[in-house]
Amino acid sequence: MDKPKIILFICNWGPHAAFQALQDKDADIPAEVRMIRIPCTGRMSKSLLFKSFEMGADGVALVGCEPGSCRYGSGTETAERNVEDMRGILHLLGLGGDRLRLAMFLPDESDALLQFLQDFRDVIDTIGKSPVTPHPRDLSALSHMETARVVASHDVYACQDCGKCSSACPVTLSGKTFSPRAMANAIIGGDLDSPSVVEDVWSCLTCGLCTDRCPSVVNFPDFIREMRHVLKGGGVEGHQSHGGFFQSLMRTMTSPDLSINHWDWLPEDIKTDEKSSILYFGGCAPYFDTFFRHHLGVNTSDILSDSLRLMNFFDIFPAVQPGERCCGHDLLWSGDEENFLRLARLNAKAFEEMGIEEIVTSCPECFRTLSHDYPRAGIPLNVKVTHVYDLLEKEISKGAVGFEESDHKITFQDPCRLSRLEGRPELPRKLLQRLRPRGFKEMQDRGISALCCGNCAWTGCDSYTKALQNKRLRQAKVTGSDLLVTACPKCQIHLKCAMQDPFRGNEIQMEIMDLTGLMAKTIKWE
Amino acid sequence: MATKPKAVQHKEVLITGFGGQGIVLAGQILGKAASLVDRKESTLTQSYGPEARGGACSAQVIISQSTIHYPYVRIPHIVVCLSQGGYDKYAKSIRPDGMLIVDQDLVRISEGSDLTLYRVPATRIAEEVGRRMMANIVMLGFLSAVSDLVTREALHETVVKSVPKGTEELNSTAFNKGHDYGAAILKGMEKKAAGKKGAK
Repeated sequence: MDKPKIILFICNWGPHAAFQALQDKDADIPAEVRMIRIPCTGRMSKSLLFKSFEMGADGVALVGCEPGSCRYGSGTETAERNVEDMRGILHLLGLGGDRLRLAMFLPDESDALLQFLQDFRDVIDTIGKSPVTPHPRDLSALSHMETARVVASHDVYACQDCGKCSSACPVTLSGKTFSPRAMANAIIGGDLDSPSVVEDVWSCLTCGLCTDRCPSVVNFPDFIREMRHVLKGGGVEGHQSHGGFFQSLMRTMTSPDLSINHWDWLPEDIKTDEKSSILYFGGCAPYFDTFFRHHLGVNTSDILSDSLRLMNFFDIFPAVQPGERCCGHDLLWSGDEENFLRLARLNAKAFEEMGIEEIVTSCPECFRTLSHDYPRAGIPLNVKVTHVYDLLEKEISKGAVGFEESDHKITFQDPCRLSRLEGRPELPRKLLQRLRPRGFKEMQDRGISALCCGNCAWTGCDSYTKALQNKRLRQAKVTGSDLLVTACPKCQIHLKCAMQDPFRGNEIQMEIMDLTGLMAKTIKWE
Repeated sequence: MATKPKAVQHKEVLITGFGGQGIVLAGQILGKAASLVDRKESTLTQSYGPEARGGACSAQVIISQSTIHYPYVRIPHIVVCLSQGGYDKYAKSIRPDGMLIVDQDLVRISEGSDLTLYRVPATRIAEEVGRRMMANIVMLGFLSAVSDLVTREALHETVVKSVPKGTEELNSTAFNKGHDYGAAILKGMEKKAAGKKGAK
């Protein structure tokens, strides 16, 4: 068997001197250790730490300076936070948090460093090789043939250059030099790799508002999705937010041998039944919460537990899949169709092995992906895919169920995938109408015309999307509501992030809660 | 839901409402389901006389395991009221351990009692389905969930056979909605009794 691969990221300032001393002495540094010298442990972002595991590392040691001796003051604390979060992610993925270690040494502590490295090698030896199998992507030249096929298949030629799209597009309206029609025409003209085209393809939110307004109904989101695939295949990447961590995470999940712990955090009051033919597919919320724990304090896992509680309320006890993987939505929408397909095949096989007949999900992206994009990509699931709102609406409409009054004035943020791409803005509203808040007022842009929360598929976050989020939150504020109800974990994350704008302060601050949370809190038997 | 009812010894049912609400039809369907499908004995007597359109009318059904010697309802086990007039006239006659089912939007209950009481928005559900005249069928669906008079299947089958041609599907939906409502009410009572009122 191969020797394990251990990456040692070591700070240039303090411990590197200790490492050099070991080298000078020709000490017995474990042969598995590959040393990479870095300027400061605080500069090792979560995505960089994780990337090592995606690329096949079996262990990663981050070695820096004692907290008081950091050259930059706060590097060590940052590293501690990052390592804690990444250990959480490694645990969820079933790789085990022990594969990542943080240690601190002064320049003269070379013996202690050696001891640490030898111990760590032994630990990794005991845990064994990582089940992650890297999938390096073959790059080719940008394909004009492929582009022509994409353009033809979405009939982008039908664009009349009328400008309805750019007068509706939230990105354009946020002030960015961005025009769907100009991009479409440039691509038709064969211009694939000019900076403006590349920037535009990766800036689109794929929210679909332009398609809704387009007199020729050019399906822009689908067109963008496939263009991203073409560009990425040619090595032309866009900006991925959070250092590409989430794409990296999803690619890692394509390794078939992972034994993921997706559900071991689930509160004990929730009942599931592993023999049920109904599967509750939760989505990536536990990863989001772990990743953003120290930054936004998001709690999107509540959406999962509250959905399950609501199902339990109606005596529905679905199965959950302990090794649940991502549905692949964000890979598909950020140009990585190969890895999307790998995930889709693994998921389809897992559903079949569990004997699942119906999948219930509360995430609009999972819903869209499982019900539309799997069959379209040639991976039909022989199961019914149900959004949890449909299930709840059906159960509640049987009667005898009511809601407690709640002391909030609420407004609602539509998720693009459900309200627009799926064309069902009425579905969450049916449920909202049943609630008994102190008031419910819609925002200016709502339903099929709603504004996006500002980001999609972890790409293209910039000051313009921030401006868009600001605009959206101001719209929410104008309604006079004190609670913004969302229906997608990402809307919650992005809008919470925007609220941290120090220059806006209270102007855009608002409590946020998912619809399932509000329902679980107030539902009752009459 | 359990579809096998316990052995019914002898049950007297009174259905009342306005003329035109399909009270007599509901009584007919209930009796036919019990006798022709569930193979029990049943009788139906009806009173509508001069009140045929608008006044109180009633259908009296007896369902029994053995031969029925007297076809009139004396002290009903179950009273279903689809109008205030019917309630005022007949609710007093119900047995102390009996069951009272009313349309919650049409009947105002006067005082509390130990009776098992169900309020059903039958007319509202029927309107949602498409025709308010199907409130009687909604009530039958409800009855099939909360009582052991007849099996759900028997009643459903008889509803579909007894309603005018072309309305089978709508009536079937109305029946199922009524049944679901009844089942939900029972589930809610069960949950509340177990101390689980909400989802958290």
